Formats: sequence, C-alpha cells, structure tokens
Amino acid sequence: MDEPGQQTAKPVRRLSRRTVVLGAGALSGGLAVSRVLGLYALGPDPRALIEPTSAPIVNTKDWVSPLERPEAQVAQLLRRATFGMTKAQYDTALTDGFKRTVDRLIETPAALPKDLAGADAASQAKPINVTALQSWWLDQILATPTPFAERMTHFWHGHFTSDFRKVTTQAPYIYWQNLTWRRSALGAFRDLLYQVTVDPGMLRYLDLGQSTGKAPNENYSRELMELFTMGVGTFSEDDVRAGAKALAGWREPLTQPMVDYQVARAQQNGRPAPKTVADTVKTGVFEPARAYRGSVTYLGLTKQWDTNMVLDRIMQQDSVAPYIAGKVLREFVMQDPPADYVNRIAAGWKKSGFDVKTLMRDVFTSPEFLQPVAYRSLVKSPTELMVHVARALEAPQLSKTIAQSGAGMGQALFDPPEVGGWPTNASWVSSNNVLTRVNFVVTTLGGMQKLPAFGNAHQTHIDGIVSEPTAQLLNSATDDGTRWLILLASPEFQLK
Amino acid sequence: MSMQNVGIDKISRRDFLQKGLVFGAGARGLSAGYAAVPDVFAKAVYSAKSAGVTNDKILVMIQLGGGNDGLQTVIPIGDPKYRDLRPTLGKEADAALPIDKDHGLHQNLKGIKALYDQGKVAIVQGVGYPTPSFSHFDSIRVWETGDPTRRQQDGWLGKTIEKNYDSAGHPLVGCATGTTSTPGMLRDLQATLTVINDQASFKFQGNSDNVDKVMGTLYTGTPGIYGALFDTAMSTVRDTVAQLKMSAAKYVPKAAYSDNQKLVFSSKNQLAAALQLAAELIVTGTGVKVLHVTLGGFDTHYTEQTRHGDLMAYLDAAVSAFHQDLVAYGMADRVLIATWSEFGRRPVENASGGTDHGTAAPVFLIGDPVKGGLYGQGPTLAKLDSSQNVSFNVDFRSVYQEILSGHLGLDGKDVLGSSFEPIPFMRAATG
Repeated sequence: MDEPGQQTAKPVRRLSRRTVVLGAGALSGGLAVSRVLGLYALGPDPRALIEPTSAPIVNTKDWVSPLERPEAQVAQLLRRATFGMTKAQYDTALTDGFKRTVDRLIETPAALPKDLAGADAASQAKPINVTALQSWWLDQILATPTPFAERMTHFWHGHFTSDFRKVTTQAPYIYWQNLTWRRSALGAFRDLLYQVTVDPGMLRYLDLGQSTGKAPNENYSRELMELFTMGVGTFSEDDVRAGAKALAGWREPLTQPMVDYQVARAQQNGRPAPKTVADTVKTGVFEPARAYRGSVTYLGLTKQWDTNMVLDRIMQQDSVAPYIAGKVLREFVMQDPPADYVNRIAAGWKKSGFDVKTLMRDVFTSPEFLQPVAYRSLVKSPTELMVHVARALEAPQLSKTIAQSGAGMGQALFDPPEVGGWPTNASWVSSNNVLTRVNFVVTTLGGMQKLPAFGNAHQTHIDGIVSEPTAQLLNSATDDGTRWLILLASPEFQLK
Repeated sequence: MSMQNVGIDKISRRDFLQKGLVFGAGARGLSAGYAAVPDVFAKAVYSAKSAGVTNDKILVMIQLGGGNDGLQTVIPIGDPKYRDLRPTLGKEADAALPIDKDHGLHQNLKGIKALYDQGKVAIVQGVGYPTPSFSHFDSIRVWETGDPTRRQQDGWLGKTIEKNYDSAGHPLVGCATGTTSTPGMLRDLQATLTVINDQASFKFQGNSDNVDKVMGTLYTGTPGIYGALFDTAMSTVRDTVAQLKMSAAKYVPKAAYSDNQKLVFSSKNQLAAALQLAAELIVTGTGVKVLHVTLGGFDTHYTEQTRHGDLMAYLDAAVSAFHQDLVAYGMADRVLIATWSEFGRRPVENASGGTDHGTAAPVFLIGDPVKGGLYGQGPTLAKLDSSQNVSFNVDFRSVYQEILSGHLGLDGKDVLGSSFEPIPFMRAATG
C-alpha cells in the first residue's frame, strides 16, 4: 500500500493509489451515490452508477497494516481502549504520541459519573428505570474525560457480569455494581476480586447471598473459579463444594428505602412492622452465624477458611494469570494470541502483584499490539460501534438512542445473555447483527439535524485503509451524508 | 477456475468468495454486488445436492438454557425418595399431571400433556453423556457439537446443513429466530445461516431498497479474517429480506401466541414470538429445514419452584400455540420439535429452595411424526453417584441419530462421527 496523500482524487482525499484507480473508474460512471442511498434524494439503480468500465480484475486480499505509522498507532489505541474517538481526541493523541497517550489513559484517575437520580433510593416501591440506567452510563462513556476507565468498567461488566433481571431494579445493587467496578477497575486484581465477591448485585446474581454453612449454594463458588479467575478444568467438583462452604455467610444489605417498603407493606396487610434495621454499608454483610464452622479441603489445603483466605488461595493458582491475561489479549489485541505471548504478559502481571494498570500498560506497549497480525483482528462490540459512531459524528446526545439500540445487536447494558458475559469477535457477526448495525447508522444519520464535515474522516477513523468497494463508494459519493453512511456502515468500521 | 474442476458439490458460496471468483468473474460481478452471481451458481449447487432428496421434514430445536431441572419436568411421582430429597420442590408431585403411575408432567405443561395423550410426545429419560461437565459452557458445547471429547468446533446442526443441504443462496435452510447471534448448534463456517431477532424490523431502514443494494456492494470481497463472515452475513440479510418480503403477505397466525409476562426475571415469553416467526417461515414455504430457538432462565439455584413453574408455563404456551398453528396450516406432519438443555439439576434441593448443576435429564420430542411415549430409563434416586447425581442411561447422540435418520432421512455418520443406536421415537421415516 502506498503512502497516503500522494495522489489525490476528488472528492475523497488521500486514498491509496489502488483505490484511486478504481475510484476514477467509478467516477467516470458519473452519478452521485447520495441519490442511491435515498437519504437525501432518490436515484436510479446503483449498479448503473458504480459499474467500473475498466476496473482491474483483482482477487480478495488483506488490508495492508498501516501500524508503522504514528497516526494509525494512536487510532488503534483509541479504538480499542476508549470506544473510538472524536476528531479532537484523535488530534490530541496524535500530538501527544502513542506512549504519552498510553500514560494518560492509564494514569489519569477515573472521573466519576454524577449520581443517577433516585437510584440510591431504589426499592420495590420505586424501582430503577432500566433505560435511564443504561443512558446514564452511556452519558458517562460519551462525556467522560477518562474514557479508558469506562472501557475497563465495561470490560469488567462483561467479565464479572450480572444482569438487572435477576438482580432486579428494586434495589440499588445493579447501579452500585457499576460504581464499584469503575472505582476498582485499575487497581490490584485481588482487591477487585474481594469487591466482586461481596458486591450486593453479585451476591444476588450468583446466589452467594443465599448460601449458608448448613446449606451451601454452589453457584458463586463454581463461577468464581471457572469464569472469574482460573478457567474451566483447573479445579475439581470437590473444590466447588468446599468453596461453597468456605464462602458461606454473606447476606445482601438493606437500605432505608427498602426497609421503609417492608414496613409500609406490613402495615397495609395489618401485620406488625418488621424490626429490620437498614444497613449502613453498600456491600454484603457477613453474619458468622450463617457461616460454615469446620475445616474443608479447598484447592489442596485443609483448614478453616474465610472469604479472604479463599481468594488468597485462588490467587496462588498458576492458572489465574494466563487465564486473565489471555482474556485481556483477546479483547484488546488479537483474536487468537499465541501461548508464549499470553504467558509473557501473564508472567509480568504476576510479578507486579496482579496490578491491573501494569497489565494494561504491558498489553498496549507490547510489540504485538502494533504488529500486522493485530490489525483489524477484533470486532467492535455493539457498544463500541455505537459510541464510536456518536463520537465520529460529534453527537453525544445519542446516549439514549444507543441505550435502546443495544438489545437488537445483542448488547443491552446490564443485561448480558449469560453468566459468561458478552460474546466477542466473530460472535458479533450474524445476519441479524450486521443488519441492525447498518440500520443504526442509517437512522442515526437520518435523524441528525446537521452533520460534521466529512473531511478526512476515513483517515481518522479507519486509517484510510479500505477495500475496493468501500473506496469506490466513497469516491463516487458527492455529499457528506453519503460519505458518512458508507464509512460508518462499512466492514472496516465494524473492526477495531 | 470453473465449477467443474472445483467439484460442484464441494464448493459453497463462501469458497466462491474466498477464491476470489466474484472478482474473477469480471468487473460485472463486482458491480452487481456478488449476490447476482452466486445465486445462479448456488441454484446449480442446490439442485445437485437436492437430487434424489425428497424429504420435506423440518426440525425445530428448543434450547432450555441454564440447565433444566428434569426432575421437576417429568416428576417421579411414584418415588418417595423424590420428596425426601426435595422438601420444597417435592410438593410439585401432588399437582403433577400423571402420564403413568410413576411419572407426572409438571402441572404447567397442560398443553404438552394433551399432546402426549394424543401420542404426539415422546419423552426420552436419562439423556446425558459420559464424564459429564458441570460447567454451563463446557456442557453446552458438548451438546452443541455432539462431541463429549470437546474437540469439535462446528455445531451438529450446522454440519447437518453443510453436508446435506447446500445453503448458499438459500439462507433460510438453517435459521435461528428470536436471538441476535448464531447459536452454537448451527455454527458452521461452510453453512449459510440466518438469525432473525425480530421479523418486523428485519429490513433495511431509510430508503431500504437502495440501502440494500449499496450494502451488497459495500460488503463484497471484504478482506481480513472476518471478511467472508461479514460478506456472508450481509448477503444472507439481503436474501432473507427478499424472501421475507415475498412470504409476509401469506401468513396470519392461526393460534394465540401469548407473550404475557410472568415473574421470571422480568422477561416476556420470548419463546412464543420466536416460535411464531418459525411458524411463518415454515408455512410460507421459505425452504427452512432446521430452526433453533431458545428459552433461557433455567439456572434455578434459588427459589426454583416459582421460577421453574413460570418457565414451564412459557414453554407449554409457546409449544402448544406453535403446534396448533402448524395443524391449522396442514404442516404439522412435517415438523419435529425437540428440546435440549446442557444438563439436568442435582436431585437434592439446596437451602435456597433451588438446585445446583446436575447431569442426565429427559428430552422432549413433540409433533405429529412422533411415536409418543416414554423411552429410556428414569433416574434412580436411591442410587446416586459420588457427586450425588443420577447416572445417564441414554447417550444424547442416540437422540440426535434418530432425529437425523428417523426424521430427516439422513445417515448422520458424517455429522456424529459414527453411528449410534437410535431411540425409535419417530413413526416412520417416509418422505
């Protein structure tokens, strides 16, 4: 692929020579694609418009990685670490350079969202509105000065997952969980793990809040090892049972509005008011009387356990570092990271005492992050796609639309499909999902009063690396609405 | 490269793309968006593969996601051990709908019980596999791939489609409804599969015909590791949109698909809508052979009695309406409904009024072509294994085998790796 900018063709600048050749052919067709799209005007059959009269016959080939160029390096970083970028964010990162941008993303303390009105007081009488909750988070994602913190909050939301259906909206738990994940997202993993274990939403989602020493519930004990830390096949069924006993004794906290509801309910039914007292903490409450008394054998060690000892024992397992490192690499670097890469990152992470900042810095600054094999090797999640669209179009007002569009693409926030969290990469590409992604772009553009100038948006957002059809359509477009549609709906833009 | 030297029955639309045949076919191929080219091609493939195929049967798989409690579904009402193990849940035995002296269906399965009485429901008990996994994901993968050794990647239904019905140009041969992503059972890189979450919105927005055509061009010869996947997904969308447009006018549901919400996790009965769409695809003659739908929420570690009861009601309402609809349209003799779930649940109830992950459980086969009754062997609650679970009596692939050979008229060996002793729950494998 040639350096950009040498041979330009109207109206889209700085496409490669190959695309320009094709584009010239398309332009000789002569008609505007904008008419074809019907956003602004109706037009004849597009096939008549884009038929190249003397286009070369070429086979499908790969996009050529531009990752040796500084602007492509920061663009990839922003796509993967921050849900995509505005033109201004791109320009800032380009001025700062890759290394300083990594520093800024990782080291700036997370900006906290403003409170979601009424969420702390949620009860059966006044549940949280789910769309309001989703929009509240998307507002934060779109407006925050620290987008990497949001990206990591989203990552942990998929890893330590819970859904509002089981947790319910009749308590503040699901809202608190989001706040907790953000606060703990970039600290020590062991601390995060404790926060997760005693999180009220998690206590309910995986039933640890119901588990007692007399009658342990295995749900959390299993997923703590299988999904959260060690991976499947690294423990026995006996460990699951022993862990359930060792972890038992937690209950969900009650807020004053929740207690008030119980009291009001009792009065309505002519029962005496319960003597329940609201808790002052926003975490689970440990009741020794509900815990297991006695020793069990857990991950090879027989003794009397408490929750911290269980988590410490897990962190001693060799499986933890590669399991988490592998998941991070598949989410941020490449579809299928080789084992030696995973092990190297895992070893560095372990050496740091499982510091998440160190892990993420090592991941972004690893040579593999900028190797051709990493280029366009990840599919944007629906949230990443829609937020990047909103950023590219300078349209932060889209948060509610994004909140309501996620479900149709398989990613309604706070509502993951299963306890394993969100799917990744190829799983996002189904016939339903490509259709709903395109439709999101079409309706978003159709609803915009004013579009930002397209300019070099194809350079900013997809590095100017496009397939023949994308180039051809961009080249033959004669208005910015059409160019935005082609860019944002293109396969290139679906990748990060 | 010509069709002849590639071997006409060994090439799919995806190969067509990957080998660059679209571009190789000339600029006209590119300009037309490749849809026009492979359709001609695909029809040749389809007819080649379909030569001699007279089977018009259709399979609908219903996934009960999360691990359905078999002991609360087919309740061993004659076994005192059941009530001992389940102090709370065991009360369901009193309300169960008896199908013989030892077994009763859950009280909310009234419609399915009525079909059972008509001989249209086969229940295979004790279905599982050796050295069971208690992980949702691991066990789901085993059921999806039909491979307890966990080596296979492709789903057994995806393979069935790939090896027997070339789906290129016929995107609705394999279809998942009521979901956004491709279910693992249908996954197969060489098969074209459609996923339709909501039929009403399954069309392009804006000036849809024009957007449709432009997307056909935009998603052509896409490079990269996901390129073929994207292109196939988009061409599937376009073909499906066209197909649905033709079929939409012909279908009015002839049964009440109620999606009334019950208590379960504040979800509506999504299965009802998914099966209604399945019915539409079947009765309008879209060529659909294999459908997959999902009802989730069965991971009942906690307050199982109400949650599971609601889910049974969802299942019953949706399946009953679906069957009634098919009967009204005269299609019921062609359709087999089969349930699956990654595992059953442990016989002993936990302290949360729920149950933890278990092993073998019953599979339901429902429809007019079914030879109704009880098959396999129910759980022996007096003799649990070291994990306090029941042992399996029927390998799940014996169920798959009968679906493939008894219903779809296929050999099944290429899908399952070898032949399994079928459980004879189909009436007769006639065209």
